[in-house]
Amino acid sequence: MTHIKLINNLWLLLVILTLFSTYMAEQSTPGLGSVSIMALVLAIKGRIIVDYFMELKDSHVVLRTLMQVYFYVIPALIILVYMFPEKIAEWTVL
Amino acid sequence: MNEITHSAPYFSSNTRKIPGSLAIWAAILAEMSEFAIMFIVYFLAKVHNPEIFAQGPLRLSTLAGASNTLIMLTSSFFVVRAVIAMRENKPVACTRWLWGAVISGGLYLIIKYFEYSWNTAQGLETETNIFYAVYYYITFNHFLHVGWGSVAIIWVIHRVNTGIYIQSEHEGLLSIAVYWHMIDLAWITIFPLLYVIR
Repeated sequence: MTHIKLINNLWLLLVILTLFSTYMAEQSTPGLGSVSIMALVLAIKGRIIVDYFMELKDSHVVLRTLMQVYFYVIPALIILVYMFPEKIAEWTVL
Repeated sequence: MNEITHSAPYFSSNTRKIPGSLAIWAAILAEMSEFAIMFIVYFLAKVHNPEIFAQGPLRLSTLAGASNTLIMLTSSFFVVRAVIAMRENKPVACTRWLWGAVISGGLYLIIKYFEYSWNTAQGLETETNIFYAVYYYITFNHFLHVGWGSVAIIWVIHRVNTGIYIQSEHEGLLSIAVYWHMIDLAWITIFPLLYVIR
């Protein structure tokens, strides 16, 4: 696959993932399953942009790691906040 | 040969290579940290106000949010294609792709303007409740980034047109490209948090 074809396909995949997660969110009632899928979609989209659009896939290891970790942490927080809102609220009272 | 380093196709392993300049990466990491703080504020506000955050997204326009997500992703795609065109020594094609990104940025801003107007007509303002305070703070911050990012791309187009950025040396183009992708990354995170997840 040429570089241009790869980029074209990744753009298409990003569009499909966005439409899929939006449609799913509109159709389904909120639940752990749908929230997890939305978090996973965010993780995949972030990884594609970091690796292929920013071209960090095989570039500077520190920059790549920092950017990739960002899109593990935020999706994980989405799921944790959904699963344990009361516990987190209890821990974060001033 | 050193000059060509920045224009060579990536995906050849080089663990020290930096796409764009080191300075732009300092800015990107600072801005990603700024957005991370906003996201943490969102999560904290959400766990302390679950009912308000469950209802908040229902009154926002999912269509506007989804449209802007598709526009941002497409603008990022245009920027990638502009970089590829420059590497292939096609400056005219490069500027056409960059204009595509600028037009996308403009479209984003127009949609956001109408979305804010629509919200205001519905009585959704910063003082309405904490969800909308967080929504306006984060999205307006992002709005500003799209605005000045678009201006920066116009500046890059000028430098390509005047022959300052050429196939063998176009670090400035790469720097703006990765900065624009950062703006895209911020939006793809904002969209599910504020518009989709309830």
